Formats: sequence, structure tokens, C-alpha cells
Amino acid sequence: MKRKILAAILSVAMTASLLSGCGSSSASSGADSAGSQAAGADTSAGSTASGEGVEEIQWMFWDDLEATEDLISKGYKDVIDRFNKDYEGKYHVTPITTNLEEYYAKLNALVAAGNTPDVFIVSPGPNLTDYVEPGVAAPLDDYLAADGWKDTFTSDAVFSQMTYDGKIYAVPLNTAAACCFYNTEMFAAAGVEVPKTWDEMLSACAKLKEAGYTPISISAGTAWCLSMVAGYLCEAEGVDLAAIADGSDSWTNGKLEKAAEKIVELSQYFQPTAAGDTNDVATANFYNGEAAMLIQGSWAIAQINGSNPDFESKCGVFQFPGVDRIIAKSDSLAMSSTTKHPEACAALMKYFTDDTAQKYTAEVGGKIPVTKVEYDADKAPAQLAYVMDVFKNAKGTFGFYNESMPSTEAGSHFDDTLVSVFLGDMTPADAAQDMEDFYASNCR
Amino acid sequence: MDKLLRNKKAIIIFMAPAFLLFTFVLFIPICQSVYYSFCEYKGITAPVFIGLDNYKAMLKDKPLGFALKNSLFFLIFSCVTQLLMGLLLAGLLTNIDKGRNTFKNIIYLPCVLSSAALGLLWMFIFSPKLGINQLLQQFGLEGPLWLMDTSGYIILPMWVIAFVALWQYVGQSMMLYMAQISGISKALYEASYIDGCNKSQSFRYITIPLIRPMVATAMSLNAIGSLKFFDLIFNMTEGGPNHRTEVLATHLYQQGFKYFKYGYASAIGVILLVMCLVVTAFINKVVKTENYEM
Amino acid sequence: MKNNVSIVKIIIYIFLVCMAVLYLAPLLWVFNVSFKTNAEIFSAPFAPPIAPTMDNFTFAWTAGKLGIATLNSFIVCFITLALSLVVGSMAAFAIGRLRWKLAKAAMTYFLLGMMIPVHCVLIPLFTRFAKVNLTNNLTGLILPYLTFALPITIFIMTGFFESMPNELIESACIDGATIYQIFFKICLPLAKTGLFVTGLMTFIANWNELLLAMVFISDEAKKTLPVSLSKFVGPYNTNYSQMFAAIIIAIIPTIIVYCAFSNQIVDGLTAGAVKG
Repeated sequence: MKRKILAAILSVAMTASLLSGCGSSSASSGADSAGSQAAGADTSAGSTASGEGVEEIQWMFWDDLEATEDLISKGYKDVIDRFNKDYEGKYHVTPITTNLEEYYAKLNALVAAGNTPDVFIVSPGPNLTDYVEPGVAAPLDDYLAADGWKDTFTSDAVFSQMTYDGKIYAVPLNTAAACCFYNTEMFAAAGVEVPKTWDEMLSACAKLKEAGYTPISISAGTAWCLSMVAGYLCEAEGVDLAAIADGSDSWTNGKLEKAAEKIVELSQYFQPTAAGDTNDVATANFYNGEAAMLIQGSWAIAQINGSNPDFESKCGVFQFPGVDRIIAKSDSLAMSSTTKHPEACAALMKYFTDDTAQKYTAEVGGKIPVTKVEYDADKAPAQLAYVMDVFKNAKGTFGFYNESMPSTEAGSHFDDTLVSVFLGDMTPADAAQDMEDFYASNCR
Repeated sequence: MDKLLRNKKAIIIFMAPAFLLFTFVLFIPICQSVYYSFCEYKGITAPVFIGLDNYKAMLKDKPLGFALKNSLFFLIFSCVTQLLMGLLLAGLLTNIDKGRNTFKNIIYLPCVLSSAALGLLWMFIFSPKLGINQLLQQFGLEGPLWLMDTSGYIILPMWVIAFVALWQYVGQSMMLYMAQISGISKALYEASYIDGCNKSQSFRYITIPLIRPMVATAMSLNAIGSLKFFDLIFNMTEGGPNHRTEVLATHLYQQGFKYFKYGYASAIGVILLVMCLVVTAFINKVVKTENYEM
Repeated sequence: MKNNVSIVKIIIYIFLVCMAVLYLAPLLWVFNVSFKTNAEIFSAPFAPPIAPTMDNFTFAWTAGKLGIATLNSFIVCFITLALSLVVGSMAAFAIGRLRWKLAKAAMTYFLLGMMIPVHCVLIPLFTRFAKVNLTNNLTGLILPYLTFALPITIFIMTGFFESMPNELIESACIDGATIYQIFFKICLPLAKTGLFVTGLMTFIANWNELLLAMVFISDEAKKTLPVSLSKFVGPYNTNYSQMFAAIIIAIIPTIIVYCAFSNQIVDGLTAGAVKG
């Protein structure tokens, strides 16, 4: 008898270890919303425990809403809080956040597991295509047509990168452009005018260097920063990414080689630690007055003004010399095609593009709003007006190079290759050959 | 009693949990991994059998070349330096009395700390704006780009990472050797001194042969540890610049979880597994010879 | 002769002191900068903080969610620890004490686990777990942690059970004890040292584990400590001072435990490794 009891206890103890797996897994699938609601409760201050009938959705984003210093991310947190407060008892959204590096890995994991977040942020380009093609993202035309939502946007052109076969699959939240920021005081002291052509750029750098300034602060430690400049230089050379991708043109046509040579030429004007500095260190160099120019996306405005408010008055902006178009990028939201609460998702997306949010985008975040919202230009950072000017004068936009290639791996490969060129690890000709080899075996 | 110990039901009950866990979480996944390595598998769609294509693709994969080279470098570097430094420290520490425990504990400390945190810490120490280069600047020296320099066959960042790894894990080897050395009978040494040996001779002819089995153990631990190496590199360089500091583990992570080439990443995993098995077998064959009576 | 010896001793001590500095300086440096503001870190990385601030710590702990992460790490590590000891020593007892033909083979099977890097099973485990909702779930971490802790636990514990005197079991047998009573009431309590050692090894390894946790967990509220550290590296800017505070938070618990039990830990771990 005793033996039997012991054996019974043992087998219970044994299965407990296995059960604890299944038990909490089944609990979590059902209680996932409950668990994450608890998490949501401290991210969204206004939310209270939601009762029956509340439509619970998840929103996935690439920055931590609490720890962030980024003003745009902080603005998103406000949107989430507002949404949860206004729709209390009807809808509730829980943010899932990762850092940018891991974002797509995590998102794909959730997609593969059939737990696609209801609404998720995504960059237009191959990233969005990854979700549109297998049908993970839902077309949004019906929602955009309702209540004149679509009419609030500045123009239909803002959707051009998100349109596949005439259907819109993502809603842009803001637009950022890659520009040259410059220190007006240093330019004046060195007697340098804003450069319009590549040669003027080089001579401006030379003059700045003579005057004892570091002409350009850039980061090769964060590869995409350097590759942004490379993108402009490729554009100047007339690289046709689409033709290269389908094989009708090749990387080895000499254009990339020339662009890479220009990078090498420009690199003599970089700060000495450019190779190791990360993105934020490079930006800090600029707003701390250690370098005269910074080539960055306009999201840097929020960071510059946030870290050194005095710098706003001496920060000018000009278009990258020698090119007609500018590199632009929109953060966009896509909706899961499997969401159970599409109305809640649409309502959330609308909150991101309503006047309050878009006003914040311009006035605090310093990014270009996507709707016809009227904002107070005096409140907005001074640099935003300059960026808007650059935008108006440009003959068009093109995407970030690393986000305009057939796959994300190809984009990273481009970034890495140019870093190698800059480090002197590869000649421009080798770099072109290397890209061509990569495309030949991976992309075509 | 024999009957009691041959109780089949008891054996099954005792073995079942461990056996099931091991089979389901380790053995079956390995088999799956081998299968995936012959598949095109992108995660979102189901795996499709493509034969040896993943392995053929490896030949063209430059970063994999770097990763293999770096993993082998790590393997050799850590086996050699851990052996030498571990033995040196163990030898020194067994020869002093005062403060032996203090030094031992300090050197062992990083072994128990999170290598993710230490990786970040060292990343900052070797970054150009903080840490070492700032210190050197105060003496008027210009430090190199510790984590970005790409000249040489084994590039500087690899040496830096290898140094940090040695720094973190040498305590382990030291402890193993110390334990073994302190197990050697004092009488053996006394006898050797009577025979006219000096300290270094007794180290050469007594200590070294007697700790040989432990060398095999410590080395296999090092070897597998260095092949698995991930945390430090991931937080120090993430494999950059341009994959030059990639090792097999980081390359696998990148291919699998950044670009979602599950099939290809599984193939890298298989290579890694084979290397681990071969290296352990090799070390145990070559180093472990015979056990002496102590 | 005497003089000679003391000079050698002095050289040894100088060398060891240098080593100690090499080991402690980075840790002291990060401790130092974690009390500074971002601007101060860059302007004077080595000077002591001008106005020491605890803000970095409170921020990292609350807003950076390191508090939750620490709790998660504790939960995962303790459950794994307890389960691995029970499951592991049960198997070890069967291998080391019970009499059956396949005991040797079973041992080899488990030992192979020691040579297998977790990377090799990462993808199949991940896809499988994702299907049954075990990703984004602490149980999904506990299962593989437990499994990877088993080989060393079984190996060391088998050694302990094998070295126990036969008479012990014989006398218990004569007293009419069942095999389960012998295991739980006699053998397990006697293997306390072994349990302590393997427990520690398991705990430390899992406390520091990054890869699995990074791949499996995406929900903020379920991340463990090593994973949470990386969140201070933001998309466009890194918050250095909080990052350093976070590093301190991540390593302080282990340092405290280590200081308290350093001798037991070091000796125990060595004993374990020697047996292994």
C-alpha cells in the first residue's frame, strides 16, 4: 500500500514537471492577453482592468516606450495612452516592444507562430513586401475610404511606397529625409558657403579643415549611417537599383565603383574615430560642436535638440550636394490580415494620424507630418522648416538604399561592403564585384 | 536487495523524466536540425527538401569563411592561453600562502558574471570615445581602433575579444589545475628535492605529468566553450565590421534570426555540432593518456 | 638562498597584484560611471562623479523594467534549479545505483548532451515551441535550460551515488525500506554537497544565458536580465549612463552571492568539475 502511494506521488511529481510546461502554456495562450494587460497597465497609465467585451489588440514597435529618449517614440506612447483612455471599455491596445536590431526577427517569429500582432510598424520597401506577399498584411483601402480618412493625408503620393497592385497595405505616420546638417557658426568662421555640387562639397570640407574644424562627423560603427551617404553618391552616379535587381544592369558597370571612390575621397574629412563611433556618438560630436557637418536622417533633429537645446539656433540644413532627389523614409503601420478586431486596429491607426499626433510629430518630434494638419511653425524645431524647404526643392524622393534592395540581407551586405571600403579593407572595384557576386548568388 | 535494485518499474520511474526531456528537447531537435539543413526553410512557409544546396551555398558564403577562421582561431587561442595562463596562475597561487584565497576569488569572479553584461562593458572600454583610448590620450598616445581595425590575417578585434574571453574564463582553468595540484602528495615533492630537483624541475617532472588528465578535462571544456562562443561577440561587435569578427554561433544567429534562412542556419548548426564532437574526441585521444597513481 | 626566495615571492606578489587590478579595474570603472550623467561620461570618463546620482539606477530599474527582468530571471533560474536537481539526481540514482543492463548506454546518451551546443537545436526548438505557444513564455525557457543542465547534474550526481557505501543501502533494505524511500530519505540527503555544487552551476549558467532568452522571448514583461540589457541601445541613440547602471544591476546580485559564499562556490565548482 505504502509503495503504491509513494509511486503515485512520484509519478505526480514527475508529470508535474511536464505539466508545468503544458499548464502554463495553455494558460498563457488564453491568458496571454491577461498577462500582457498587466504589462500594459504600467505602460499605459490611463488604462484600467478591462472587463468583458473589450476588444484587445496588440501593437508592435521597435523602441522601448519607457526607456526611450527619442521624442517620436515618446509621442507614440502618448498616442497609445490616449487611445486606451478614450476607448476605455471598448478597445484596448497593448504595446509589444523590442529594440530595433531584433525587431524583424521577433515580428517574424510571431508571424510564424500564427500570433501576428494586430498592428505593427514596418519600413516601406523589402520589409513591407515580406509581409504583403505572403498575405500577412491586410489591404487598408476600405478603412481609408471610410469617414474621409484618406483625405486628411497631404497627398496620395505618401502612399506610393505602400501600394501593391493598386492596394494600400500600410499607413505612413511621418516622413523623415536624409539631409546634411551643418553648424552655421563654423561655416561662417571658415568662410564657407553651403555647397551645391560635389566639388563645392570637397572644397568646403577642405576649407573647414584648414580652419581647424573637423568637417564631417559620421559613423561607420553603425553601418547604415555611412551607407546613407553611399546611397546619395550612387544616386548621383545614376545607379538603377531595379535594373540591377532584375539582372538587366550590373553593379560592376563602374557606377558603384565611382561612388565608393567618392566615399574614400570624402573620408579624409571624417572625424578620426569615425570607424569606431556609433551613430549616436557621431550625432553627439555634431551637436557638441566637435564637427561642422552631420549627414543624417531628420529624426536626428529630435535627438539634437533634446540633448543640446542651445544648438537649435546654429544648426542649418542643406540638401546633399550633387543630387536632385532626396532619401526619404516613412514609419508605417500595417494591419494583420488575421486580426479579429479590424475596427479596433483601424481606430488605432487613425489615432496615429489624427491632428494631435501629427501636430506632435512636427512640433515636438521634428519629423514631417503626413496629414494636412496645421501646426505652429514657431513651436516646431527650426530645423524642420529647413528640412521642409529641402523637401520642396527636391525633384522627388527615393528610399534608403539598404531598404530598397531585394532582401534585407542584400541591404545589410551593401552597408557592410561600404564600411569595408571606408576601412580600406576592400578597394572600390572589389566592392562592386562583391556586390555583383552577392546579387548573382542571392537575389536574381 | 538485488531484487530491489533490479526493480524495473523503479528504474523506469527514475529514468523517465530525464530521458523524455532529453529526447524531446535535445535529441529530436538535433535530428530535425539535420533534416532542416537539407531544406529551404524560411520560417513562414513549410520546409522544402533541396538536398545539399545549403552546404553548397556555404562554399560561396564569405562571412562563413570568416566565421570558420575565427572560430578555429578562438579554439586554438583559448586552448593554448588558458592552458598556459591557467597553469601559471595555479602554480603561483599554490606557492604563496598569504592572500591565496583573495587572489583566487578575484580571478575567478568574472566566470560567474553575465558575459552579456561584461561584453557590453568591454565594448565601451574599447570604444574610441570612452575607456582605454581616453586613458592613452592622457599620456599623449593614440590608441588603435580596437574593435574596427581590419588589417592583418587575424584582425585586431579578434585578439581583443580573445583577450576578454581569456580574462573572463581563465579563472575556470586556474581552479581546475589548482585543485589537481593540491591533490598531489607533498611527499613526492619532498622526495624530488632530496634527489636534487629545484622547483621548476619538480614542476616539470612531477606536476605536469600528474595533472595531465585534468588538462584534458579543462581543454575539452575550453574547446567546447570557445566553439559555442556567442554572448561576448554579440555584445561587443555583433560580428562587424563587415563580418570580420563573425564566429559560427553569431553567423548562425544572423542567418537564422535576422534573415530567416532557417535551413541554411541549421546547416551551420550541423557543422558546429560536428566540430564540437571531433574536437572533444581529438583532445581526449591526444591529451588524456594514462592516469598515474597519486 | 632565503633572500632569493623572498625576491621570487615579491615578484609573484607584484604579478598577482597586477592581475587583481586587471580584474577589478573594469568593474570599478563601470561602477564609477554608472553614477554620472550622460554628458559627464563623455567629458570625464575616469574622474569620480561630480554629483553622484542614483537616477540612472531608479530609471533602469523601473522604466527600463530591469526590476521585472530580475524577477523573471529569478523565477526561471529557481524553477530550473529545483527541477534539474530532482530530475537529474533521480536519473543519476538509477544509473549509479540501480542494476540494469543499459545503465552505461544511458550515461553515454546523457553525456553526449555536454558536447552539444545549444545553437544546434535553436531553430527546431524555436519553431516547435512557437507552434505550441511556448515562445514568449517562461516555461519555454525552463524546459531547454533544464535539459541542458541535466548532463552535468547527472554526471556529478552519479559520481556521488556510486561512491556511497553499499552497507548503507543494504541496512535500509533489511529494515524494509522501498527503493523510493532509500532514494529520498537516505541517498539524497547524503549527496548534499553534490546537490549544492550542481545547483550552483545550473543557477549561474542560466542566470547568464543570453541566446535562448533572446530568441524565445519578445514580450517586455517576460524578458530575463541579460536580454533586457540590450534595450538601452535604442534605435537612434543609446542611453549610456542608464546602460552602465543596468550592467551594474545585472552583475551585482551575482557579485554579492559570490562574496558571501566565494570559498564554497569556488571549491564546490572545482569539486564538481574535477568529478566531471
